[in-house]
Parts: sequence; C-alpha cells; structure tokens
Amino acid sequence: MAFYLAKRLGLSAAVILLVVLVLFSLLYLIPGDPATIALGPRATPEAVARYAEKMHLDEPVWAQFLIYVGNALTGDLGVDVFSDRPVAEIIGERLGFTLALVSAGLGWAVLLGVPLGCLAAVRPNTVFDRITGVLSVGTIAVPSFLVSIWALLIFAVGLGWLPAIGAGEPGDLGDQISHLILPAFAIGLSWVGYLARMVRASMLEVMGENYIRSARAFGLRPNKVVFGYALRVAILPTITLIGMGFGGLISSTVFAEIIFARPGLGKMIFDAVMARNFPIVQGGVLVATGLYIVVVLISDLVIAWLDPRVRESL
Amino acid sequence: MTRFNQTRRAFLAGTAAAGAAAMLPMPAFAQSGGGTLRLRLDGDIDILDPGYMTGGIEIEAQKQCLPFLAQYKREGGTFTWEPTYFVERLEQRDSTHIDFTLAEGLVWSGGYGPVTASDVKYSYERMKGTDWSGYFEALDRVEVTDARSGTIVLNKPFAPFIMVTLCHGPGAVLSEAAMKEVGERFTTKFPAICGPYQLELTPGQRALYTPNPDWTGPAPAYERVECPIITEVKAAELAFEAGELHCTEVGADTLARYSANMPEGAEITVGGELQYMWLGMNTDHPKLADKTVRRAIQHAVDVESILQGAYSGTTTRSYGIICPGLIGKRDSTRYYQYDPQKARDLLAEAGITGLDLTLRTLNTQERMLAAQIIQANLAGVGINVRVLPLDSGPFWEMGQESKGDTWQELELWLMRFGTTPDPYEATQWFTSDQVGIWNWERWTSEEYDSLYEEGIRETDPEKRHEIYVRMQEIMEETGAYVWINHEPEAFVHSSDVVVNAAPSGELNYRRFERA
Repeated sequence: MAFYLAKRLGLSAAVILLVVLVLFSLLYLIPGDPATIALGPRATPEAVARYAEKMHLDEPVWAQFLIYVGNALTGDLGVDVFSDRPVAEIIGERLGFTLALVSAGLGWAVLLGVPLGCLAAVRPNTVFDRITGVLSVGTIAVPSFLVSIWALLIFAVGLGWLPAIGAGEPGDLGDQISHLILPAFAIGLSWVGYLARMVRASMLEVMGENYIRSARAFGLRPNKVVFGYALRVAILPTITLIGMGFGGLISSTVFAEIIFARPGLGKMIFDAVMARNFPIVQGGVLVATGLYIVVVLISDLVIAWLDPRVRESL
Repeated sequence: MTRFNQTRRAFLAGTAAAGAAAMLPMPAFAQSGGGTLRLRLDGDIDILDPGYMTGGIEIEAQKQCLPFLAQYKREGGTFTWEPTYFVERLEQRDSTHIDFTLAEGLVWSGGYGPVTASDVKYSYERMKGTDWSGYFEALDRVEVTDARSGTIVLNKPFAPFIMVTLCHGPGAVLSEAAMKEVGERFTTKFPAICGPYQLELTPGQRALYTPNPDWTGPAPAYERVECPIITEVKAAELAFEAGELHCTEVGADTLARYSANMPEGAEITVGGELQYMWLGMNTDHPKLADKTVRRAIQHAVDVESILQGAYSGTTTRSYGIICPGLIGKRDSTRYYQYDPQKARDLLAEAGITGLDLTLRTLNTQERMLAAQIIQANLAGVGINVRVLPLDSGPFWEMGQESKGDTWQELELWLMRFGTTPDPYEATQWFTSDQVGIWNWERWTSEEYDSLYEEGIRETDPEKRHEIYVRMQEIMEETGAYVWINHEPEAFVHSSDVVVNAAPSGELNYRRFERA
C-alpha cells in the first residue's frame, strides 16, 4: 500500500510539473510581447518595465521557469498583474465557491442517479427502465451551458422563483443556498444520467453473479440483496467516475459560473485568459490540476479500501 | 410492471402544471423602491489609486468616494463641464491659469481633517510621476492661496485640461495626510474618503456602497448601491431581465432587440459614443501608394451595409475621428461617398486590375462581419481581399515599428480607437511623429501638425470646431481612411431610474436620480 501510494504521488508530481511547463510555455507561445499583451497597447513604458521586472521577463526563459517552480513549491504563485495581490490569496477566495458548487452539483446527481440506476437494473426492460434510459441519455447529451441558460430563463427570469446571479449575501447561509440551486442543478443534470447508466450496467453485471443468486436462493429480502450485496460491488466503478467527475468539474464549472455570475475557479481562469492575466491563469490551472489529481487519488484509495481484491493486487 | 396509464396520467398532469407555470406573466423589471440601487460591475476593482488604476470601474468607484473639481455635463447634443459641489468656484482665468475654491465643510473620513487646497496640490502634482502622467503633462504646478483656494498653473495653453483631466478619473483629489500614512500608494482601500458613499469590496463577488457617515454634502438619490460582479454582458442582460439589476450596459444585438421592441418598464440611455472605427490603408505600401487606388477603395465600401449587417443599425455613422457630442464632429464626408462605378473608374484610371489585398482585423464578431462586408464590397469592384483575423496581441503591434516588421506588410485594417470627450485626444495619434507608432497609415502633413498645436491652445469653441473639421478633411483627403461608425455606450435600465453616465461610459452612482 505504501509503495502504491508513493508511486501514485510520484506520478502526480510528474504530471503537475508537466502542466507547469506547458502553462509556462503558453506565455511565450502566444504571439506578441507578454507585457504589451497583459497591459494593453497604450500602457506607458514605465508600466511595461515594471511588469517585465515583476514577471522576471528580463531573465532567460529557463531561469524564469526555475524561479516559477521554486516559488510555486513554497506556495508563491506570483502576483496578479493588475492588483498586485498574491495569486494564491485570490485563488483561496474563489476555491470555496467552486468546491461548494461541485459538491452540490455532484451531490444531488449521486443522490438521484445511483438509486435510479439501481431501480432500472432490478426492473430491466420495464417501462421505468426505458424511461430512465431515455432520460439518462437525454441529460447526458444536453450540454451544461444550455441547461444553465434554460434554467436561468425559466426559473429566474420567467418564474422568478430563484435568484439569477451571484453567490448570495456573505454570511447569509440561506441566501447562499438559494443562489446555489440553479447552478448546481445545471452542472449536475448530465451526471444524473451518467451515474444512472453506469450503476445500471454495473448492477446488471453483478446481479447475474453466483453469490447474488445464492443470496436470493437463501430467501434474503430483495432490498438486502440489492443494496446490501449487489450495490456494494457495483458501486466501485461509479466511485472512480465520481472521483474523475469531481476533479473535472472543478475546472469545467466555468459555464455555470459565468452564466450565473458566481465567483469560482473556472470563471477566475476564464476572466484571466480574457485579460491576459497570465499569473492568475497559471496559478488557477495549476491548482485545478492539483485538485484533480488529489481527488482521483482519493477515489482510487477509497476503492482499494472498499475492495479487498484491489487492495491485494497493490 | 408499471401500469402505463398511471404514468401517462402523471405525465399529463406534470405537463399541464409545467405549461401553466410557463404561462405565468413575466416579472416586471426591478423597480428601485427602497433605497438600494443594483448595478453591474464588469470585473474586480484592482487598483483604486488614480495614479496606477486600470480605469473604467475604478474611476466609477473614485467618483463616489473622492472629491473632483469638475464633472461632465451635456448641453444639448454637446458634452461640456460644470463645477462639482466640491467647489464653490472653478474658473479658467486665462489659457494657463485655473482658479478654484473648495466648498466649505468638506471633511475626510478617518479624522484626516478638512479637504484643503493643499490636498489638491499634492494630488495633481503627484500624478506627474505616475502611470497616468500623460493627463498632467500640461500641469506646471498648483499654487495654494489659502486653505480652500488655489490656482492650477499650466506650463502651456491647454484648452482641454478641465474636460480631459479634471472631469476624468485622474482628476480625483486625495488626502495628503492619509496618503503619507499609507506610503503614498494604495490598491483596494481608499486611505481616506470624502463623498456620499463608502466602499466595501468583496473580491470576485461585489462592490457595496453604503452611506459615508462623515459626508456633509447633498445626499444621493439612493442610500445604498450594490454592484455584483458580472463579467459577461449577456449574463448581466439576463440578470436585468430577471429583475436583479436596475441598470446594465447592453451589447449591440440586445440594443437592437430592445430598440425594436422595448419591454415595458425599461428604457435605454446612451452615455456617449466615444469610439471611432475606420478602415485604414497604408499609404507607404506599394499596392496602395497611388492615391487614386485608395480613393477607389473609399468609394467602394458601403458603410451603411456595415452598420446594418455587422451592428444591427445600433451605431452612429462616422464621418471622421471626432465623435458625436464633441467639438469638431462632422456630418458628412468631403472626398468620397459610396459609388462602386466611380471606384471602378478610378481603378481603371490608375491602371489597376486584379488587385489582391489583405485586410487585418481583430477576431471579434462585429469586426469579422464588417471585414466580410468590406471584402464583398471590394470584390464588387474587382479587388480581391483576404481577411486576416488576429488576436489582440499581434493586432495591436502590427503597425508599430518597435514591435517588428509587420508594419511593412500592412495593407488594409479595421481599427477602432476610444477617446476622451475632447477632440484633441483623437487627433494626437495622427501627427507626423506618430508615424510607425499609432499613425499606421503613415502619412504626414505639416498643416495637420500645426493645427493640432493650434487646437490645444485655442479656447474659443467655434474656432476649435473649424480647426478639428479641417484636420479631419486633411485625413480624409489622403485617401487612407473609410470612416465607419461610433459605437454607443448604451445602458438598459428600469424606467424609474435616471442614469448618469460619463461620455466614456463610466456610471456615476451619486448622480443617479429617481424618475
């Protein structure tokens, strides 16, 4: 287990280093002078010189890279081009909103998708199974930005039931939850379909196993068989999917964050790209990548903990 | 097995409920009852310091919390200035002296005492060493007469100083004592304020303006102003339609939609149209060195088609670089009008056939559409145009000699500049010393250069008008320009709110009123 963990951590570090290298290269791959691009065409020479000094643009490229990596290892991701605020501090302010949104979005999808998948599997080829199948594929096919726009138009603009923009009044939990409903609905909808299909397929496979037939033959209650035995095994691939989904959503909430004008990591990166604010882009993507790796690692460890077969193979 | 008829009933009931919900009346736009005004902020406020700000929303914040000596005023269709309530007197004594007397009873927050003439001196003289020093190039010094009075002394006659500098963000006055205490620079917290509102920022979320307890001046119409950060124009438009904003800027397509069918309870206000776009031609390029060819292109472009096709008819047709509402604005072109046959004749006269040109443009939706219309127009007279869309980095460098050699290959391009509410600013980019910097058309004219200096010195509005009209005629006569449009700073707002927007689009919340 310890060797497995060390191996995974080493691989994660290599991936992060590669991401840093790619991000760093972007600064020079984009045509134009980085300082002019960031500060705009009418920036004064003094402002351009200050920016170049701040970003170490007068150093050789390899030295800039080493300085960046060295600083990043100590948690220093540089400073915002415009406000001079530490990038790490800015990311810290936004990260909580994204994690809340992803948790809520994936949370309701799990709560609905897993039972739907189970029910569809225990009643295969019924009307319920077919409707679930059609709805699952339907929700998977509809992109989240479209769901966001329609949810906003129907529930906020048309019906006025829920707030349209923002993250809610700071310190007012009820207001913050009401602001979370629509974006969480929008990003979670397609995951309901994914999870339902995934759980259904896994469950059908498990339900055909000998030990399930034995359990039934012993006269155990159907609920005990389904949720006590079958689901415990069938859920394992779903945990991997949830882990990857959580990691992916950290950076792909951008549409919901933009449409609902919520603060968050995705929107922060998008705004920074638009403003050519490279330190924020680099820091944001780095943190999102790191979180992705951590979440996937955790999901792998959870599977290893839950499944003795996986644990023994490590 | 589930009985189908039960599911069908449930489905029908659900559908009926959803249909009924959809039939509910659309909510009215937010009414500004209560004392809270909700407006869009298009991003985080980064640096409030007038010397190092980015501009735009930061200027909006300064206008609420800091004193200014002058403010914009619209007189008929023209922008001019008036003293603010921070001053009892603001007078241009002669071409280089501006006298002022601050209003009595103005105090800084935080116990920094009254607002003094010495604060004005400190604030303006400090600006000469900052990123916004260009606005104070003409400033020599500020002479302090007494605690509340002084004179702004210019080092040369500079007619636009009040309009361009004092009314705008760089004209903000800071507390000298408070600034000294914070090390003479600040970012997102004012060292001391003197205005109707105090500002509280929540990064990434909003700016909140609440009453300044130390404020002794007139109370604004709205006690509280909430500005959620909404970076995307479209998201802000939806927020307005959901009743969560009282006012927001709108894009060209929404402006067209609202103009054609204005929703009940909403109105449109245009702050200004201080952007000017044109099709530029490089007079030094061998393919365009012959003025007859350039004149042919001027005649070949159907500007009205661009205004309708790319901007849905929401922008004002341009006849030069001076924008609507400013001294020197022209109402017609002098040397060309859309006439494809004349264009063909001119090309024949120049002996040109099968001309291939490249048109560079920023890769935005409207510019791309405009470029494609120009491409079609020029194809109609026998000129083949390749449209080359560019990202902002290479686009803004392509005509600058200091940024590489692309300027030598430049043929045609679509360009848009923004300006301040005085004609001098727009004309400064086309003088002889700007060739290879911002004068990408690369022509020079001694008369233009001399008129530029004259326009800065001249204080008589009528004479200034003549100067700037003549300067635009010189530009047009070179054949290097096809004037296209002036895009508006348009705001949609609930009809019980009277919007106050600067000509360049910054909102001034404390000058908003209730209808």
